Amino acid sequence: MSFDVDTHTDTTVVVDIGEALDFRNADDFKSTFQSHVDNGVRNFILDFSDTGILDSTGLGSIFSLYRQISPEDGQVVFADVSRPVQVVVQLTRTYKVFRQFPSVDAARKALS
Amino acid sequence: MAKQSILVVEDEKMLRKLLEYRLGKHYEVETAANGEEALDRMEAYTPDLIISDIMMPKMDGFALQSALQSDKNKRVIPFIFLTARSDEPTRKEGARTGVDDFITKPFDIDQLLSRIDRLLERTKVFQKNLDAEIGEDFSRRLMPKQMPSVPGYRIRFYNQAHDQGGGDLFDWTRTDDGNYFITVGDVMGKGVRAKFYAFSFLSYVRGTLHAMLRESDSPAELLRRVNQMLIEDEVMEETFASLLLINWNPDEHTITYANAGHCRPVLALPNGAEIVAHSDLILGLESGTQFTDTTFDLPPDSALVLYTDGLMEQRLPSGETLGEDGVIEIAAAALDDNEPVRSMLEAALTRSEANEFEDDILAFWLQREA
Repeated sequence: MSFDVDTHTDTTVVVDIGEALDFRNADDFKSTFQSHVDNGVRNFILDFSDTGILDSTGLGSIFSLYRQISPEDGQVVFADVSRPVQVVVQLTRTYKVFRQFPSVDAARKALS
Repeated sequence: MAKQSILVVEDEKMLRKLLEYRLGKHYEVETAANGEEALDRMEAYTPDLIISDIMMPKMDGFALQSALQSDKNKRVIPFIFLTARSDEPTRKEGARTGVDDFITKPFDIDQLLSRIDRLLERTKVFQKNLDAEIGEDFSRRLMPKQMPSVPGYRIRFYNQAHDQGGGDLFDWTRTDDGNYFITVGDVMGKGVRAKFYAFSFLSYVRGTLHAMLRESDSPAELLRRVNQMLIEDEVMEETFASLLLINWNPDEHTITYANAGHCRPVLALPNGAEIVAHSDLILGLESGTQFTDTTFDLPPDSALVLYTDGLMEQRLPSGETLGEDGVIEIAAAALDDNEPVRSMLEAALTRSEANEFEDDILAFWLQREA
């Protein structure tokens, strides 16, 4: 299963994380973002509105993305973060690294 | 799981295309027109199974088969001969060189598919058993064989690795001045790979701790060094880990800790339990991350409870997870129990209405007696 990606600008995309990002589909997520990174995308808006599960493997795949694009001034931002995802983000203190926006639209505006 | 791959070696173009098309529905298929081409292909990748014609120009099937026999990694790949020569001498020659199966042309594709299935199944089961064995071995090495024994303290530990588990780790060491360093962490990922990374990571943490103790006993300083290693060392590049380090002084009854994004410990007190709140960013994400030491007293009849995310993420019938709040409650209730860890875990299972945990489980209980 692949992830829906919506192109915002040449360098910014919105990825719909869907219901779960965990050990079952983390590799799919990696290949999804990798093709966009290879095409020059530097900013990723992750839409967590429907996400019920984010486990440590899933979070690890987001970290891999961040490690790749942050040296080139890229950003990973979280939009419409559901409660289960918020718990993981709080626990790992990753809100210090990933900016959060109340909605995908707000994130699009900020990254235009 | 990724599709398994098959290398088809066949000089007849029509038959090669047909096999590529039919097998391609179930497997990744690569093709070669003769033995030489097949060996070239296998420089770059290792198929899970080979189907080869016998009569081919340049290098025939037998020559390919013998060439593979001299390579211990390629010799074990299941090998099926497609042959028009169904006579006994050919079969005998095949058996001598270690061929797994013969299919005589013209062949029925369903029959071929079922034989491929059977051969690959064997490899898969073998691989699975091997993974489980290595996984168990790593799991054992990631956990201590015994616990510290300190007068005036009750210490309990439990861990159970799960098939679907990952890289939980736990370690303790006694320093020259009689303090204890306790390490609990979780390397991100699942399965044998995560356990392998956790094992390398733990060795590094141990080494760094020993080197550092000569000049500093600050948990935050150790986290800083380990984080820098994860950022700079290419081997560990894809490793992210939560890590909680505790420096426990049993004479003064103090705890100094630093926490890199690990599940926050619980302090169980006679009048209730509370979270040990401070924590900093997880390891491996950002260069130059700052970590902070925090010190607190362990009052009489209080217990410090360390654990990993498997406990917190245990699912309740409501669909929610047990969560930090749930862990606080079961820890508070376990304080008067003689076997507090067991009672906590039983309470977690009762709440989740499950017979077992869905992930690795680890809990450490350090109680100062009244």
